Amino acid sequence: MSGSTYKRVSGEAVEYEVFARKARIDPLHLVGSVVAPDADLAMAYARATYDEERWCEMAIVRKDDVIRLWAPGEA
Amino acid sequence: MGAGGGLSLSDLVLSIADNKQMLGLRYAEWATRAPSLEADIAAAAMGLDDLGHSRVLYGCLEPLGADPRGPERESDAASLRNLAYFDEPWTEWSQFVAANAVLDSAFTAMIDACVGGSVEVLQHRLRKMLMEERYHFLHGRSWLRSGIESGPLDRAWREAIEWFGPPDGETEALHREGKLSMGPTELRFHLEEQLEMKPSHVSIDWNKWDPIRRRGGPGAVDHHTFGMLRGLEEKKYAPPSAAKQTAS
Repeated sequence: MSGSTYKRVSGEAVEYEVFARKARIDPLHLVGSVVAPDADLAMAYARATYDEERWCEMAIVRKDDVIRLWAPGEA
Repeated sequence: MGAGGGLSLSDLVLSIADNKQMLGLRYAEWATRAPSLEADIAAAAMGLDDLGHSRVLYGCLEPLGADPRGPERESDAASLRNLAYFDEPWTEWSQFVAANAVLDSAFTAMIDACVGGSVEVLQHRLRKMLMEERYHFLHGRSWLRSGIESGPLDRAWREAIEWFGPPDGETEALHREGKLSMGPTELRFHLEEQLEMKPSHVSIDWNKWDPIRRRGGPGAVDHHTFGMLRGLEEKKYAPPSAAKQTAS
């Protein structure tokens, strides 16, 4: 399967991007992603997977909800 | 047991600690067997959380004034206060989910009752657990909603209700004394409300209930797990020189 057509998500699962920051003055930044069928499970997975740092804030967002202005190679 | 022969708060805290320890170990056994990589990681993380919680709970026994742990815990697996649900390793994911959703949440409800009660050491030391347990609950409830077999679910509900204790028993007495903010009836209601479900018909013969182990039947954790708890399993992998040192 080529990189462009590979899709990690299958069935009813959804990919969520995970954002976090260590201090209030830091911006939230992308730390990774998780795949889950709903937001509750995505929160549990995000916390379990990316809790190795002492984040002061963590948030998830459905990858489908991110509005892309342009992609790599399109700028 | 308490000075008057009744259940003491230490007995209850030891029961939570033993069950959390076993829950953590059983979770960890699924760290490479869950249905997805994310679920593997969650099983490992929740296992570590619960093992950590059990350490904190054991640490509360001394400040509570009466540590009920005796020497028999080194030789008799039946002296541990774990529920029968943890006696054997789980063979089905449904067993994991039922334990995660129902039993883990039942233990959290009791910890919530301790934090809301009048005993300072429990108010302070157990509060952080409630924050961590939020993610265990989300994990368990979500998997529960995806549907699991009724057998493990019915069993987990039954053992959770047994573990809360009889409606007019000594756990209720701790509630009336203010040491717990919820008694068995409130704990069950709290659990049903959280999980948005009620158990199938549960009939419990409280005459057969063991108030110390908080379970309705005999049995004990399997031989291998008991050996691991006592550190005997890891000695099998020690180099011969270390074994000689231990023996001398």
